[in-house]
Amino acid sequence: MHKALVACRAGVGSSLMLKIKTEQVIKENGFPIQVEHSSLDAVSGFDGDLLITLADVAKELESQNLKQTIIGINNIVDKIEIENKLSEFLNR
Amino acid sequence: MLSEMIKEEFIQLELEVTDWEEAIRKSAEPLLIGGKITSEYIEKIIETTQKIGPYIVITKNVALPHAPTQYGALDLAMGITTLKTPVKSGNKTNDPVKYLFCMSAKDSETHLESMAELVNLLSDQTFYHVLDTAKKPMDILDYIIESE
Repeated sequence: MHKALVACRAGVGSSLMLKIKTEQVIKENGFPIQVEHSSLDAVSGFDGDLLITLADVAKELESQNLKQTIIGINNIVDKIEIENKLSEFLNR
Repeated sequence: MLSEMIKEEFIQLELEVTDWEEAIRKSAEPLLIGGKITSEYIEKIIETTQKIGPYIVITKNVALPHAPTQYGALDLAMGITTLKTPVKSGNKTNDPVKYLFCMSAKDSETHLESMAELVNLLSDQTFYHVLDTAKKPMDILDYIIESE
């Protein structure tokens, strides 16, 4: 089971919506991923292996040399995009 | 419920703005007047957007202006603004922005259900049709209440 953190700037708006959508995709596909969500402040204390965020924020995180795989989502209501990017992570 | 976060006076239709920053300011104005946020909150959204890019643009044509709770989010609320002429935010995938859902929340849990409703609405083509054809704010609020 992989542990994923859905994070955004504030942790109250887009990350919450992204978490809801991501959980739907995980459930529908039976992906072995467990999701929590928070603001970016929690990233440094997160011990899982996957970070899911919006594309702009992902770019910023990629420059920080984090140990986790970072997935940036462009469109939070696009289940296909989320599914494809999660599959890609699982099939690495 | 989502409809409990939104008041009729938080909904603005067919606003004219000249740029992205003005769009954010105008979308937040009713929440400021309604005492749901402070002016610091609006400045924080703009400052963050200038620093890291249009992180609040979440799907095609839609922005969700919001900032962390500690920067002046006083109460749970959401405004809806539609623009007469869409503006570019710099988000390649989702530009131009036509609809802004400015929100304020005091924590990250109590409005989980409302956010789930909003995600569903943003996946619903009829909702965009309602946003485009609404003659008055209540037309939008009525649709949201009906869909709950």
